Amino acid sequence: MTGHVQILPGTLDLLILKSVSLGPLHGYGILLRIEQISGRVLLIEQGALYPALFRLVSQGMLRAKWGTSANNRRAKFYELTPAGHKRLLRDVESWKQRVAAVSSALRAQAGEV
Amino acid sequence: MKFWIALRNFASTLFHQPGNDSDLEQELKSHIETRAEELENTGLPRDEAVRRAHIEFGRYERFKEECRQERGGTWFETLRQDLRYGLRMFRRSITFTAVAVFTLSLGIGASTAIFSVVQGVILSPLSYRDPDRLVMVWLRNPKAHYISMSLPDFEEWRRQDAGFQQMSGVRWYHFNLTNPGTPEHVAAYEISAGFFNMLGANLHLGREFLPEEDRPGGARVAIINDHLWKNRFSASPQAIGKAITLDGVDYTIVGVLPANFRFLDDIEVYIPLEQGDPMFNDRRFPGVLCIARLKPGVSISQAQSRISAVQQNLNNQFPDTDHGLSTDVVPLKPLIIGDVKGMLLLIMGAVGIVLLITCANIASLLLARSTMRAQEFALRAALGASNGRLVRQLVTESLLLAMGGGMLGVAVAKLGLHLLLTMGIGNLPRSENIGLNGPVLLFTLIITIIVGILFALGPAFKSLAFNLQSTLKQGSRGNTSAFQYAQKTLVVLQMALTLVLLVSAGLLFRTIHDLQAVNPGFDSESLITFKVGISPAATRTAAAEQAAYHQFMERIRSIAGVQSADITNLVPLSRLNNLAPFWVGSQAATPVAEAPRLLLYWTGPDYLRTMKIPLLQGRFFTPEDNANSAHVIVIDSALAHAYFSNTNPIGQIVNINLWGEAQIIGVAGHIKHSGLGDSAGSNQPQAYAPLQQLPENAARTFYRTLSVVVRSPLKPADIIPAIKAAVYNAGNDQPVYEVRTMQEIVSDSMASQRLPMTLLGAFATLALVLATVGIYGVISYSMAQRVQEIGVRMALGAGKWAIFRMVLVQGLRLALTGIVIGAAVALVFTRAISSFSRLLYGVGTGDPVTFLSVSFVLVSVALLACYIPARRAMQTDPMIALRRE
Repeated sequence: MTGHVQILPGTLDLLILKSVSLGPLHGYGILLRIEQISGRVLLIEQGALYPALFRLVSQGMLRAKWGTSANNRRAKFYELTPAGHKRLLRDVESWKQRVAAVSSALRAQAGEV
Repeated sequence: MKFWIALRNFASTLFHQPGNDSDLEQELKSHIETRAEELENTGLPRDEAVRRAHIEFGRYERFKEECRQERGGTWFETLRQDLRYGLRMFRRSITFTAVAVFTLSLGIGASTAIFSVVQGVILSPLSYRDPDRLVMVWLRNPKAHYISMSLPDFEEWRRQDAGFQQMSGVRWYHFNLTNPGTPEHVAAYEISAGFFNMLGANLHLGREFLPEEDRPGGARVAIINDHLWKNRFSASPQAIGKAITLDGVDYTIVGVLPANFRFLDDIEVYIPLEQGDPMFNDRRFPGVLCIARLKPGVSISQAQSRISAVQQNLNNQFPDTDHGLSTDVVPLKPLIIGDVKGMLLLIMGAVGIVLLITCANIASLLLARSTMRAQEFALRAALGASNGRLVRQLVTESLLLAMGGGMLGVAVAKLGLHLLLTMGIGNLPRSENIGLNGPVLLFTLIITIIVGILFALGPAFKSLAFNLQSTLKQGSRGNTSAFQYAQKTLVVLQMALTLVLLVSAGLLFRTIHDLQAVNPGFDSESLITFKVGISPAATRTAAAEQAAYHQFMERIRSIAGVQSADITNLVPLSRLNNLAPFWVGSQAATPVAEAPRLLLYWTGPDYLRTMKIPLLQGRFFTPEDNANSAHVIVIDSALAHAYFSNTNPIGQIVNINLWGEAQIIGVAGHIKHSGLGDSAGSNQPQAYAPLQQLPENAARTFYRTLSVVVRSPLKPADIIPAIKAAVYNAGNDQPVYEVRTMQEIVSDSMASQRLPMTLLGAFATLALVLATVGIYGVISYSMAQRVQEIGVRMALGAGKWAIFRMVLVQGLRLALTGIVIGAAVALVFTRAISSFSRLLYGVGTGDPVTFLSVSFVLVSVALLACYIPARRAMQTDPMIALRRE
């Protein structure tokens, strides 16, 4: 699948939290939303979503509730908890810092070192 | 916060388990289904869409498992899996499991049994109310020895407030119990009113003594214990109000004690303190022990200073009797425990060593097993099991093994306690508390868990250190060198610990052996001693008692087979004392409290001959030395040496407190009165005075405590019935009691060494067996690993015997290393123990004979254990060996 970039490990949690912060979703819905908001650039192994979701639930970042999906299926919906919201903000911040650091490192010219 | 989340997860797993799993399935499946539908809508055929959706999803089973793991609370599920798996593994290698569980049960069981003794005797709190507030108030004489006090002094203490909530006096006495039932001699305590209330002990029936009963001339009342109540009153509730006859006087029973009550001793009868024999209610006679309960908020040192002041006043008021006395307030518990702490700690240490040895044995077994399971673990790791999971599996298995050993161990402990009872554990103070109770079982649980976790660590570390790939390729050979090293270390450890046990047992054995060889100063063979309760009719006057004794002594002497017999107030090695202050010369030169004391034996004229104590100088008494003649006395060699070293003691005068002047007519040999090994007592002056010359007022009391000694070559079973018949014929309400042979008394005096020696001997034997098995296992395994090497050696020309020697040398090296280490540890261990308790006699803690003989035993045992592997090795066929993988 050319044109798609493998997501870095550890960023899956961040993407999940961000997706869910825009509104409660079930697992498939989160997958669609990640693809959507990343402009279909990022590629995830679909099944890997679920262990990550379960982990976030047991860490208290997400809350799970059973409900009915758009096509009348029984589905488990995930929404952000207050702790999850705090975690999202924190992770976004540290992501920005990391990106800035790497970018500035990559900008280094031959003459600067 | 996290904790509550985990707890909620855990709870939800426990309660919704089946639902969760099908929910998980549904969630994942519905994801795939939704994706398949989407693909269908783009035009793909159904089958293709479903296939594509599955591929996009990824490894379904793996993700499902990961979800399960992330859920938390699956701890319970994995535990069940581990348990089932572990049980299956154990069932497969049933010999290993049986051996391991059995060995463990021996170690854990022995430790539990010994701990229950230590817990019952030393650790458990006294069974009274608020036992930490109970104290004993001692009096100390000018030489700082602890002594009991006189009744008038005690009354004075009570009258003046000394910071105690309550004080009670206890004095020992004894009676002839004649009614109801057969005549018997019983020990009794004279106690203050309110004694049981102070302890916090409730009576089973009836009530305590009232203050108006606790005075001279008060109503004759008594409290009996459960044993007497069951024996003589058939445990009837009507016992209250009935009478028992003590020394011819009727006492009304007002109370019955519960079955589990014990204070210092199993005493059957209690009467009020102030009603005791008035002769002893003099300031000159000690005998009262003072037990007290501290006031709330008052510390021991505060009470100490106040009672000191009170005593100081008494010292000033009564300088004749109370000069130089001081007080000491101590907690009650150590008094009741007595002297056994050292011995019990020794035994506890020994059983701890046995436990270590059994652990080493089993660890060795487990190591061997873990090496064989290395492949299994490597495979599981390759399939995705985390390190944590594998370790958890190992720990669960070890704990399972340990629990098996622990449960069987409780049964072993019960058996062990029965055995201990036959060895005399019941004679220890507070032995009524010994049993497999709550704290003991908790101890068992704790050491079982510790042992289980310890066992898991070894193999766990080994498994994790394995290189995955090389292990899978190599098969079951695994990491041999590290494993061998660990096994060898364990065997050396076992040898060392076994040596420590053997040395300790050996030292005690030599102690008892040496003690038995000690000359006690008299001939203990063919001697029997007993006491007689003179019928109350004959105890009215001293003359009547003398006549009664005279009567049955004549009968006893005329029994065929009796060589000689006589009476005495003290039997050597019987732990009784009669210390009398004395002065050389006719004047009491110093106050009583400061005068030296001699051990005074009041005996009949035949006593020396009966005991076969050597007469060194002069003569012993004759029937002519009686109440109408001058006082005479026979001193012992210690007294002669100390006070008459330059002169002839015969004819000199000594002055005995409360008796007066006496002329020395002879010198006898010194006797080991307080113990065969007691070197301190060898300077204790002793003396003999004629019973007939006892002052009238003392005679009545002394005659009640006399012992009869009889020398006869006949067996005790033959002579004792004849003696009893003779005594009963002289008066059929005269019980004969405390019948013992002198040999028994001598042997009992060594009981404090004999019990630990027996136990240590048993432990040492067990350890020896385990260590032998250990060496055998290690050497066998090592030789099995080296089959190729042996083949090469033989092919290159090594003879069979060279191989045989090689194996023996390897075993010998292990044994010797263990012996050297063990010897070093043993030196420290035995020195520590003997500083705790005076158990050893005649052998130093580093006795070379013991160490050498024990080392010799260990070396022989090691060589024996190596014999079979050595023979097997020497019979290796080099052709087959070289072809082995």
